[in-house]
Amino acid sequence: MSYKLLPLRFERFNNDEIFITNEVGEFTFISKDKFEQLIKCTLNPQDETFLNLKAKQILTDTDINPVIEMLATKYRTKKSFLNKFTALHMVVPTLRCNSNCRYCQVSRKDVEAHQFDMDKSTAKKVVDTIFQSPSPMIKIEFQGGEPLLNFKIVKQIIEYSEWRNLFKKKDLEFVICTNLSLMTKDMLKYLKKHHVYISTSLDGPRDLHNKNRPLQATDNSYDILIEKISLCREYLGHDSVSALMTASRFSLERFKEIVDEYISQGFNGMFLRSLNPYGFAKRDRRMLGYTMEEFVENYIEALDYIIDINLKGTYFVESFASLLLTRMLTPFSTGFVDLQSPAGIAISGVIYDYNGNVYVSDEARMLAAMGDNKFLMGNVNKNSYLELFNSEFIRSLIRSACLECLPECSSCAYQSFCGADPVRNYSEQGDIVGHRPTSEICKRNKKIMHYLLDLVKQGNGKIEDVFWSWIIRRPIENNVCITSS
Amino acid sequence: MKKITGIPLLDINNHIIGKITYKPIKHSLRQDFIFVANGEKLESGYAAILVTKRNRDPKGTTILCNLEDIKYLNTGDVVSIEPNGNINVLYKKNSVGNVLLVTERCNCSCIMCPQSLVTKEDDKSPFIFKIISLIDNNTQLLGITGGEPTLIGDKLIDIITACKQRLPKTKLIMLTNGIKLENFDYVKKIVMVQHPDLTIDIPLYADTDTEHNNIIGANGFYKTIQGLYNLARFKQKIGIRIVIHKLNYKRLPQLAEFIYHNFPFVFHIAFMQMETMEVAKKNIDILWIDPYDYNEQLEKAVTYLWKRGMNVSIYNAQLCVLPKNLWRYTRKSISSWKNIYLEECGKCDYLENCGGFFASSLELHSQHIEIIKKN
Repeated sequence: MSYKLLPLRFERFNNDEIFITNEVGEFTFISKDKFEQLIKCTLNPQDETFLNLKAKQILTDTDINPVIEMLATKYRTKKSFLNKFTALHMVVPTLRCNSNCRYCQVSRKDVEAHQFDMDKSTAKKVVDTIFQSPSPMIKIEFQGGEPLLNFKIVKQIIEYSEWRNLFKKKDLEFVICTNLSLMTKDMLKYLKKHHVYISTSLDGPRDLHNKNRPLQATDNSYDILIEKISLCREYLGHDSVSALMTASRFSLERFKEIVDEYISQGFNGMFLRSLNPYGFAKRDRRMLGYTMEEFVENYIEALDYIIDINLKGTYFVESFASLLLTRMLTPFSTGFVDLQSPAGIAISGVIYDYNGNVYVSDEARMLAAMGDNKFLMGNVNKNSYLELFNSEFIRSLIRSACLECLPECSSCAYQSFCGADPVRNYSEQGDIVGHRPTSEICKRNKKIMHYLLDLVKQGNGKIEDVFWSWIIRRPIENNVCITSS
Repeated sequence: MKKITGIPLLDINNHIIGKITYKPIKHSLRQDFIFVANGEKLESGYAAILVTKRNRDPKGTTILCNLEDIKYLNTGDVVSIEPNGNINVLYKKNSVGNVLLVTERCNCSCIMCPQSLVTKEDDKSPFIFKIISLIDNNTQLLGITGGEPTLIGDKLIDIITACKQRLPKTKLIMLTNGIKLENFDYVKKIVMVQHPDLTIDIPLYADTDTEHNNIIGANGFYKTIQGLYNLARFKQKIGIRIVIHKLNYKRLPQLAEFIYHNFPFVFHIAFMQMETMEVAKKNIDILWIDPYDYNEQLEKAVTYLWKRGMNVSIYNAQLCVLPKNLWRYTRKSISSWKNIYLEECGKCDYLENCGGFFASSLELHSQHIEIIKKN
């Protein structure tokens, strides 16, 4: 009996086992012995391992064409984020900010520096450009600076978008990323009327938050934030407000406290984010920065803690793990721009700066603020939609941002779960292709994925329940039998 | 379907189909009705008349039946009468288990088939259209089954179209092995009928071609899979059915995994206890495993899918055989005319919730049937 191998990737997972994936990221663990038999084509077709590998289309001893067809179908599903083109459109209404965040990655401008405000005609052009995207879903996310400092432009963009959407009939969503300090009841009434979600930043307990994210007017930004969060919830509903954290050096060793803070503030999830090396974070990295090893160590400790909280009955999601798990355990594609291949830059998400400049990603405009316009796509006031999105620059950038053909990524067993990030490669390593063995992002992603896979492999049913409750966004339910009714 | 024995009081030449009525019907409409007479003088014009006593003056087709059998028939039921007087109950107005058996031919020979199949038969479609024209248009649910329904080709499309026109409120569930659905154009025709509520249920017995094909006795695995994909391309509502027996129970969890990764678009997945009739009965030695003995695999498969947000059910199972955490997935799925309970089931507190047995299970069923008391 002979069989043929189909495309597969593998890695030594631990001393005894090989982690093996097919082209679409379905995986299994097999012993070294079995792996040896597999590649020598001596596995017995009655063997359990043989059947498992056959069912995952890693080998076939019968037809090949229909097996390829099945893989192709799943591949299309995994890559379906490509079908719709750019859905996320970030807009910077102003670069002015009243915060004084230590690690500001966007190089904020002074509160009085009105030359960094978006003007009306640029705002209109931005919306016109956005509405040329073929995506049936459009998410407009206001970034900054502090968008509330230029609320009239925020309003103009919302209203003009809604008007355009009367004809386009897309699934239109607004998010405003704000430190909330300037939020007023009138603004909230407006945001409620226009169904705008709020994303704010909470870095941890009072002292930590105040240390990372003081306001220019006061060091005690924490109390203001907490008060405003409850005001937002009162007007918009509990689930309309979400928060993000960024870890600075001061946050290390304190992840559990940060998790506790999120839970006590009534959030049912968080995103444990490492610092991006842009802006002040790069300038002051000696004081604020840390190694990726340090971050991952803290992250894993926090993840275990969060899993434990879920096991004790509180539904609380860690978004990065949830994203990776969705990519590992489901046949579906995810919308997160940073974990895609081809990279999500420009084709999934894009950012419009205050002056109409269009960049391939938020990080690209952070880089531009530091004087490097490498990833500038053009300007809405000068360039048409096609010139912006269909340029040879974008095409060649995307061509060289596919894990399938990047050195090392192409054979990496974690490829299907990961994403390409040419902007990060460029800013860290000086070229868009990058060098994996010294890449910080690669280090982080691989370590966290390995950790999650290990948890999955251990087959603890309860932990598995927690993971699935995150993936399908449904709190774990007690097993209800008819007996209890 | 239920059969009732009758004696024709006059010779009958053809099959007769009609709708049962206990009340006299206007003369001009009588030709579609079968009148159940209750001693009164018989009138002409009905498709047939059922009597329980020999009548001195039979009119047209008059069938003598047993009083007990007649009680089984209600107004609105549809029956056919064979020339020998046998009455087949084709449709019960008060049941949700009605099916249209559109052919008895099949392109598979499943090792656990509960039916006896024929290789040649006359076109049943005129008969099916007649049934469709007679059944109540408030019917909730109607099955289309066989044999293998797709073997009748375009006539199947006509039948679905007739259901859409005549019974627009009736949910249709069609059972097919999906092999013929490998043909994209055929699937397109089915979907283009645009029936408002059609589900297509397709069996999948294993996660590899070798095992599945061995069970169905045909080279169908990849064709069925192509069929599933073709249906999915039209966003057709699809169910997957898995009959469990000794040849496939071991890899139920892997089969669940296979389904989730390859067919996450399906609307419903049903794991089914086997009905031990006909072919299945002949092969019982290689097929039989006490359902209690595959609980471990069944539980893994069901919870695997449920955790992933899939809609999953267990059909044809008895509560006392299953672990309690699986009770919530059970459905009363056995057609009422062949749904039985054992004598001891009468003492069980969960009789009402339990799906019971196939009539054929009287001889062979799980060794773990027991009476369960509340508290």
